[in-house]
Amino acid sequence: MNLRGLNLTALLLTMAILPCPALQAGEYNAVIDIGEPMPQFSDLPATDGTTLSSSDLEEEVVILVFLANHCPWVKGMDPDLVELGESIQSDKVRIVGVSVNHREDDRLPAMKEHAAQAGYNFTYIYDESQELGRALGATRTPEYYIFDKDRRLVYMGLLHNSPASKRRDGTINYTEGQPTEFYVVDNVKALLAGEEVTVAETRAHGCSVEYEQD
Amino acid sequence: MKDQCLVGLLILSVSIAVGCAREPDTRQAAAGDGTADIVESDEWQATLVPVTFEAWQEKLVALHGQVVVVDMWATWCLPCIERFPQMVELAQKYADQDVEFVSLCLDDRDDEDSIALAKRFLTEQRARFPNFLMDEVVTQAFEKLDLLGIPAVFIYGPDGSLRYRLTGDDPNNQFTDADVDDAIEELLAAS
Repeated sequence: MNLRGLNLTALLLTMAILPCPALQAGEYNAVIDIGEPMPQFSDLPATDGTTLSSSDLEEEVVILVFLANHCPWVKGMDPDLVELGESIQSDKVRIVGVSVNHREDDRLPAMKEHAAQAGYNFTYIYDESQELGRALGATRTPEYYIFDKDRRLVYMGLLHNSPASKRRDGTINYTEGQPTEFYVVDNVKALLAGEEVTVAETRAHGCSVEYEQD
Repeated sequence: MKDQCLVGLLILSVSIAVGCAREPDTRQAAAGDGTADIVESDEWQATLVPVTFEAWQEKLVALHGQVVVVDMWATWCLPCIERFPQMVELAQKYADQDVEFVSLCLDDRDDEDSIALAKRFLTEQRARFPNFLMDEVVTQAFEKLDLLGIPAVFIYGPDGSLRYRLTGDDPNNQFTDADVDDAIEELLAAS
């Protein structure tokens, strides 16, 4: 929590009264922390007409990326995501896109259209029950989760250090200019080389995932 | 009315997204047929005041002495657009009490289309409270505000302390409209 500008009294009051607890798992995640196991999931429908279960994933490295068709930050990053798929063409790495929202333009029919339009070269599944999203504390799109061969979480956050959004005029704008740090690519390379990842967590940026509240 | 305005905004967004040659008027869009006369029943136009993060903190300090409700939003954030009318309703509900409502827009400061749309939206919503635009690179703004996502509502007590930080950061505890109202009631009762 950023406490700049608050005095000591305010700090104490905040600590004593703040109804929402600070994030307790990851640095930027309320539910899961680095090192925890990948949540199991079963028969989630994919845009290609198949279904996918966590037990189907046999690759050495699994990347789950949370997406939302409607989101300008997803649209802005789509070309980079597709490029990621091309760059790590390997039977050792599997990318799985996950949509969680219940709004119509994020559901399966719209996902099929979006996947075709954006040229998605990976399995794109719909987590309608939102159980997978909740288990991963996935609250923004796009956000990447990388699991190692033991299916332990080794990274969560941004694809790279300059999130991009698609503007209404169709142009793509990188917030920090051309990306210079490629967290996902570098971490995958490290894992395949049998090394530790270099960065474990970054602050994902994008649209909020909307969870149905009881 | 609020739904109609929202639909109008969304239609406008889509129209811009698909590249209309002519910028449609929001009220024409709301009418749905694109031919309705523009009826200016109210000349009031919302302004969006750019503030750096440092200037934003000074604005908050200047508001000490009352409950301050800050709605953080952007035109790219659909849940923000959908919940904004509640902010306007609450501002009206608490108009006679010691509560100041403020909005802080987190659109890309360099994206003219978005800024223009944000102003039109605020005007259409009749958001007659201070409306600010964060004058920072948007990802840096999130970092400085220690925000993971929006919509988010920060509620400060009269002493300036951050008392409620309502966010969607926890999938199992995302805030609702009722949470905002309850928090204001509680702070007013305590002060």
